[in-house]
Amino acid sequence: MQAVSDEQLIQWVADGDASCLGTLFERHHRSIYQYCLQLTRSSAASEDLVQDVFLKLLQKASSFRGDGSCKAWIFHIARNVAFDYLRRADRRTTIDDEGDENANRLVDHRSTEQVAAAEQNLNLVARALAEIPAAAREVIWLGRFVFEDYEDLAGALGCTASAARVRMHRAMQQLHSTFMRMNGVPIDV
Amino acid sequence: MSDKPPSEKHKSGVPFESDDAGEQQLWRDLEDLPQEVPSQRLRRRFYDELEHADRRLHRRRRWLSLFSAPGLAAAMGCVLLGVMIGVVLRNSSVPQHSELAQLQQQVALLNRSLVLDRLDSDSASKRLLGVIEASDLAGRDPEVMRALLERAVDDRVHSVRTAAIDAIGPRLGTPAVGNELMASLEKAESPLVQLALADMVLRYGSPNQLEQLLQLSQTGKLHPDVAQHVKSSVSRNPV
Repeated sequence: MQAVSDEQLIQWVADGDASCLGTLFERHHRSIYQYCLQLTRSSAASEDLVQDVFLKLLQKASSFRGDGSCKAWIFHIARNVAFDYLRRADRRTTIDDEGDENANRLVDHRSTEQVAAAEQNLNLVARALAEIPAAAREVIWLGRFVFEDYEDLAGALGCTASAARVRMHRAMQQLHSTFMRMNGVPIDV
Repeated sequence: MSDKPPSEKHKSGVPFESDDAGEQQLWRDLEDLPQEVPSQRLRRRFYDELEHADRRLHRRRRWLSLFSAPGLAAAMGCVLLGVMIGVVLRNSSVPQHSELAQLQQQVALLNRSLVLDRLDSDSASKRLLGVIEASDLAGRDPEVMRALLERAVDDRVHSVRTAAIDAIGPRLGTPAVGNELMASLEKAESPLVQLALADMVLRYGSPNQLEQLLQLSQTGKLHPDVAQHVKSSVSRNPV
């Protein structure tokens, strides 16, 4: 339980206390960075995007209406910033290829003969995640690591909760089929 | 670089609602994926940028605060301060005004001296010019009045004397002026001067002075034409 809620902090930012943005940064910058990394597959670009996201928060703090959670609102802004970046760089068509390279790097880093089979399995999951389309990857990432209910996930994605459920279901199906294709056999239960 | 922050290790994520065992296992395995953490450079950049943004925000707010109630009050204060400064500057210009007044006073004194010098000049034309200029000063300057009276009583040039009599005539009611002019009337020899003095008494003289003039005209001390002029004038306008 946080002493001061994100909603209160963003209100104070809107009231002119920009230092409160530092607290929000400490709470969320890692998640936003990892989310952006899932979309861009670039550490440098993701750090730039995190910077942009928090500057946007400073500019838009007064526009937070409290309809949903502040966290969902922050990630919605992060999503817009990240996709703007992808559109500008015209990277959406190449994102999956770069994702593969990044995933291969992770795999190469960890898939030695000495690593445990569980870790090899995990690396395959990472490769599969990197291979599926960015839209599916972001739903899985946000649903798995950032939010704990579909309402907030929907707020970040800019859709309804039921639409978020559908998107999550389809994304996991894509991940599963990709994983099976890469692994050659269905995952052990 | 790859590490999972402690705060996110136990995050359960959204409720996973698929019945597929393979997907459920994948959902569980996802939690163990290595997660990159951003570099410390990101934190430094953010706080630097936050500081800059905060400064820009405060500058903008300072401008905007000018239009708030306290800002307007401050603006009014500035206006009042400006007015006060104006008043102070205006007061500081008072010495300049007094200097100008002093200068004007000095000019007036110089002019007075010039008039007195002209009234006392050897040149009849300058004395005549002095008489004309003195007519404006005589009413408020006794010394000029005295000099003008001297010209009216015993200037040797008749034109200067008659001009002085015309200039000083309106002050005939003043005892000093009246006594002197009435005495000079008895002594004047020039018919022109007698006529000027007689006309002056007829126009500005008191009843006593008119009576005195009438007696003079009857004693033969005035030129006959002047005496006749006085008698006819008095007969038309009895005392």
